[in-house]
Amino acid sequence: MSARTPIEVVELAAKAVNAYQREDLAARLAQTRSRVLDPVVRVLVVGEFKQGKSQLVNAIVNAPVCPVDDDVATAVPVAVRYADAPGVVLVGEDGSHGEVAVEDLADHVSEAGNPGNRRGLRQAEVGIPRSVLAGGLCLVDTPGVGGLGSVHGATTMSALPTADAVVLVSDAAQEYTATELEFLRQAARVCPMVVCVLTKIDLYPDWRRVADRDRAHLASTDVTADLLPVSSVLRLHAVSTADQELNQESGFPALLAHLRERVVDRAAELSRRSVAHDVRAVVHQLTTSMEAELAALRDPDGAQGLLVGLHSAKQRADALRERSSRWQQTLNDGIADLISDVEFDLRDRMRQITREAEAQLDEIDPALVEDQFVDWVRQRVSAAASATFVWTHQRARWLADQVGEHFADEGGEVLPDLHTHDPDTTLGRAVPLKFVESESFGFGKKLLAGVRGGYGGTLMVGMLGTVGGLALLNPISLAAGVLLGGKVVKDERKRLLERRRNDAKTAVRRFLDDVVFQLGKDSRDLLRELQRDLRDHFTACAAELSRSIGESIKSAQSAIESDRGERSKRIQDVRAELNRVSHLAATAGALDEPIGSTR
Amino acid sequence: MSARATLVGQVRSVLREAVEAHRDDEDTATLLRRQLDRMDEPLRVAISGKVKAGKSTLLNALVGEEIAPTDAGECTRVVTWYRHGHSPRVTVHPREGLPRQLPVSRVDGALRIDLDAAPEAVERVVVDWPTRGLRDTTLIDTPGIASVSHEISASATRFLVPEDEPREADAVIYLMRHLHRTDLRLLESFQDRGVARATPVNTIAVLSRADEVGVGRIDSLMSARRIAQRYRADPRLRKLCQTVVPVAGLIAHTARTLRQDEFTALAGLAAAPRDELDSAMLSVDRFTRTGDGRARLLSRFGLFGVRLATVLIRQGFDDPPRLSAELVRRSGLDELRETLSVLFAERRDLLKARSALLALDTVLRDRKCPDATRLLSSVERVLAEAHEFAELRTIGVLRSGAAEIPPEASAEAERLLGGDGGGTWSRLSLRPDADRETQLRTALEALSRWQRWAESPLSGRAFVGLARVVVRSCEGLVDRLNEDG
Repeated sequence: MSARTPIEVVELAAKAVNAYQREDLAARLAQTRSRVLDPVVRVLVVGEFKQGKSQLVNAIVNAPVCPVDDDVATAVPVAVRYADAPGVVLVGEDGSHGEVAVEDLADHVSEAGNPGNRRGLRQAEVGIPRSVLAGGLCLVDTPGVGGLGSVHGATTMSALPTADAVVLVSDAAQEYTATELEFLRQAARVCPMVVCVLTKIDLYPDWRRVADRDRAHLASTDVTADLLPVSSVLRLHAVSTADQELNQESGFPALLAHLRERVVDRAAELSRRSVAHDVRAVVHQLTTSMEAELAALRDPDGAQGLLVGLHSAKQRADALRERSSRWQQTLNDGIADLISDVEFDLRDRMRQITREAEAQLDEIDPALVEDQFVDWVRQRVSAAASATFVWTHQRARWLADQVGEHFADEGGEVLPDLHTHDPDTTLGRAVPLKFVESESFGFGKKLLAGVRGGYGGTLMVGMLGTVGGLALLNPISLAAGVLLGGKVVKDERKRLLERRRNDAKTAVRRFLDDVVFQLGKDSRDLLRELQRDLRDHFTACAAELSRSIGESIKSAQSAIESDRGERSKRIQDVRAELNRVSHLAATAGALDEPIGSTR
Repeated sequence: MSARATLVGQVRSVLREAVEAHRDDEDTATLLRRQLDRMDEPLRVAISGKVKAGKSTLLNALVGEEIAPTDAGECTRVVTWYRHGHSPRVTVHPREGLPRQLPVSRVDGALRIDLDAAPEAVERVVVDWPTRGLRDTTLIDTPGIASVSHEISASATRFLVPEDEPREADAVIYLMRHLHRTDLRLLESFQDRGVARATPVNTIAVLSRADEVGVGRIDSLMSARRIAQRYRADPRLRKLCQTVVPVAGLIAHTARTLRQDEFTALAGLAAAPRDELDSAMLSVDRFTRTGDGRARLLSRFGLFGVRLATVLIRQGFDDPPRLSAELVRRSGLDELRETLSVLFAERRDLLKARSALLALDTVLRDRKCPDATRLLSSVERVLAEAHEFAELRTIGVLRSGAAEIPPEASAEAERLLGGDGGGTWSRLSLRPDADRETQLRTALEALSRWQRWAESPLSGRAFVGLARVVVRSCEGLVDRLNEDG
C-alpha cells in the first residue's frame, strides 16, 4: 500500500535529497518536517462579556481549566492544548516564560487576580492530556473584557488571520447584536472558518427561536457558518454522571464532530497538501538534472544544443534573483502602494472620527461626559483600526499571490522544455504565507499600547485641565446669580463651556494624529516585514532553481564526456533513479487526494 | 416640614403668576395650568431601558397585577401610562386629534391593549386602573431603546447634558443588564427617547433579570447582589443614578400574582424524589418534557424560579402566602420598593417642584411673553434660594465626581445632604430609633466639622462651596432637632 503518513513521505524525500547532496532542498524539507511534527490548529473562542466562553472551553476539554465567574471576566487569552502532563506556562508581553501550577491560573488570567492585565501577560498556555486535543487542536479563550467593540476586540481581530478557525460564542438570552454581526462579517473575511455557538440553551425556553433568528441574521449578512446550540452545564453534568443521553442533549457531540471534521481534519488535509506540494517541488528539482543527463546520454551529439539552452536558462534563473526581475518589481511596487494606501485609509477614517467627535462636542459639555466621550473615541479608533487591519490583510494576501504568480510565470520561462508536466507544482504558485503564521504579528498589540499611551498622555490631560475648579460652578453660580443678575453668570457659563469644547476638540485632534502616526508606523513595519519575508522566500526558490540548472549542466557535461560503454550503464542508472524519485512523487501525490479516498 | 411647604407654595405662586401673564395665549396657559395640577398628582415614575430588559415585567411586579402586556418579543411599542383610577379605562392619545377610549379586555387576567392606530401615530396610551399599587405613583412604561446601535449617537450623549429640560416624568427607573465595566453599552443603556432625562438625583438603576446572572444557579441572586454592589461603586454610574438595585422581575411578578394551581404544581414538584427532580430541572427542554403544564410554569417562573420555589417549599415555606412573600423578598423587589420610597416618595414634593420649575423655565424661554424676564428671575430665585435644590444639585456634583474630595468626606456629605433619605436619622447615619440627644450630638459634631472645612484656608474653592451647602444642611438638622425638643 502506498498510503504513507506525511511524516514518512517527508523523511523519504529528505533521504533522497541528502543522497544527491542538495542541502538547500534539505533545508526546505526540514521546515516542512517541523511543521508536520507539531501541528497546531488554533481555534479562537471569542464573544461578548459573560456569554460563557471560558465555560465552553472547559466543557469541550471536560476540565475546569479556564476560570469561570458570574461577574469577573477573563483578562488574558488562555490557550489550551495537548500535553502529556497538565501544566501552565505564562507568556509575558516581553516574551518571557514562567511556569505556574494549574490551580493558580485564575490568579494570573482573571480580572480578579490580574486587574487590567497588570502583570503584563501576553497569554497563558495550558497543557492537558485530553484526546480531544490530540490532533493539535488548540483552543484560545479570549478576554471578554469590554466586549467585541473595544480595544480588546481589536486585538482579537488582529489575531484572527493566524487562527485556523474562530468560534463566536453568544448566549440564548437574545439574538445577535449589531456588534456581533459586524464582528462575524469581518471575521469571515480574514479567517478561513467561522463557527457560531449558541450557549446556555439549558436556561432559556426560547432558545430555538433565538437560534432561528441568529441563522436568519447569518444568512442576511452572507456569513457562511453553522450555528450549533449547546449547553456547557449539561455537558459537564453528563460527563460527571456518564450520562450518554444527556451528553447528546448538551449539543457537544455535534460541536466536537464539527470541530473535528471541519477544523482539525481540514487543517490536517491542508498540511498533507502542503507536504505533497513541497515534496513534489523537491522531486521536480532533482528530476531536472537527471532528465538533462538522460537526454545528453541518449543523444550526445545533440547535447550541445541542450547545453546552450541550459546555460541560458541558468542566466535567466540568476536574473530572477536580481532586483530588476518582474516579481521583485511587483513586490516592491505593491508594498509601496499598499503602505501609502493604508496610510491614506487610516487618515481618512481618523478624519471621519474627528468630524464626528467635533459634532458631538458641539452638543455636550466635555467636563461632564469626559469618561464616556474618551471611551467613545477609543472605541471608534479601535473599530477603525480593525477595519483597516482586515483590509490591509486582504490586500497583502492578494499581493503575495500576485508576486507568487509572477514568479511562477518567470520560473516557467526559465525552463521551457522541462516545464512540461504538472504546472502546479513548479515554483511557488502556492505561496506559503509566512505572514499568516508570523508570531511577531503584533498589529493590535502595538495599537493597544499606542492607544493607552495616547489616552493617558494626551486626551486625559487635555480634557482634565479644563474641568478643574469649574465643575462646582452650578451651585455657586446660582447663588451668585441672585447677586449679579442671571445674565452675567449665564454668559460666563457659556464662555467657559465654549472654551472647554475647544480644548477638548484640540485634544481629540492631537490624539488622533498620534494614533495615525503610531498605527501608520506599525502597519509600515508590518508590511516591510512581509516584503522581506516574501523576497527571501522567492530568492531562495530562485537559488534552488539556479542550482538545479547548474547541476543539470554539470551532469549533461559529464554525460557528453563519458564513453559509450559507460553511457549505456549510466542510462540505466539514471532511469532507475528517475523511477525512484518519481515513485516518491507518486507517494507524495497520494497525500494530496481527498481524505475520504485514502480511508 | 414648613420649609418644604413654603417651597411648594412658592412654586405654585410663580406658576399662577405665569398663568396670569399668559391669559391671552390659551395653549400656553393650559400647559402651565397642567403643571399646576401636576403638583397635586401622584409622582410620575418612568421605567426605561433597552429592549427586552424586562420593563413591563418589573412594572407588573411593582403594581402586583398583570396590567402591562409582556411577551417574548418586543411588545411595548408606545409610551403607556398606568395611573390610579376608580374604574378600568384605556385611553389613546393620538398625536393628532382627540383622545379616545379603547375597550378594556383582559385575557388570562392580563390586560390587552389593541391599538387601533399605528404606534407612530400615538403619543401615548393612558391606563386607569383601580389598584392600590398605583395610588401614590403613576408608572410610565416606555418602549425599549433599540439594541442595535453602533455608537453613542449625538442624541444619546445629549441626555447627559445637565441643561435641565421639562420632562413628563418626575423620576426614572433605568433597567440594565449585566455588563462589563468597560462596556460602553453600560452607559448606552441610559439612553432614552426623551420621556424622562436621567440626572443622578431622580434616577435609580435596576440590574434586571438578576436571576440569569449565575446561569440559573440557586445562588444567582447573591451574585447579582455582588454585581450591583460593584456597579454602585463605579464612578461613571454614580454620575448617572442614585443607586443600583438587583431585581429578578419575573420572579417578583409571578410571586405577587401566585395562583393556587401554580403552588400546587410546585408543591408536587418539591415532594418528588430529589434526584428525579434534579434531573428534570437540568434544562428547560427536559423540564418541559416531564409533564403537561410545565411549559406554562416555566414561562411564569423561569427555570431559576422553579428551582428556587421548590427549594423554598422544602425549606418550609409551604403555603402560598409565605412562599409568595419569600419569593418577593428574594427577588429584590422589596429592596427596590424601599429604595423608591426613600429616594422618590419622600422627596415627592421636591421632585415635583423641580419638574414644575423646569417646565416653566422652558415655556418662558420659548414663548417670550412681555413678563418673561421678570418671571424668569422669579424662577431663578426660587431655584437658587431653596436650600433643598442646593442639596439636590450638590448631590449631583458629588456624584459627578468632578470635585476633588476625599471619598469618605464625599460619602458623608452625600448622606448629610439627604442622598440616602431625608429623615434626620438617615442623614446622620444613625439607626431609626436613635434618641434625640444622640441625634443632636451627632448633628452638632458634623456641623462643627464641616464648618471647619468650609473655613479652612487649605480647602480648595470647589470644596469650600460644597462644604457651605453641607453646613447649611447641618444647621437645618440642628434646628429641626431643637424644635422637636
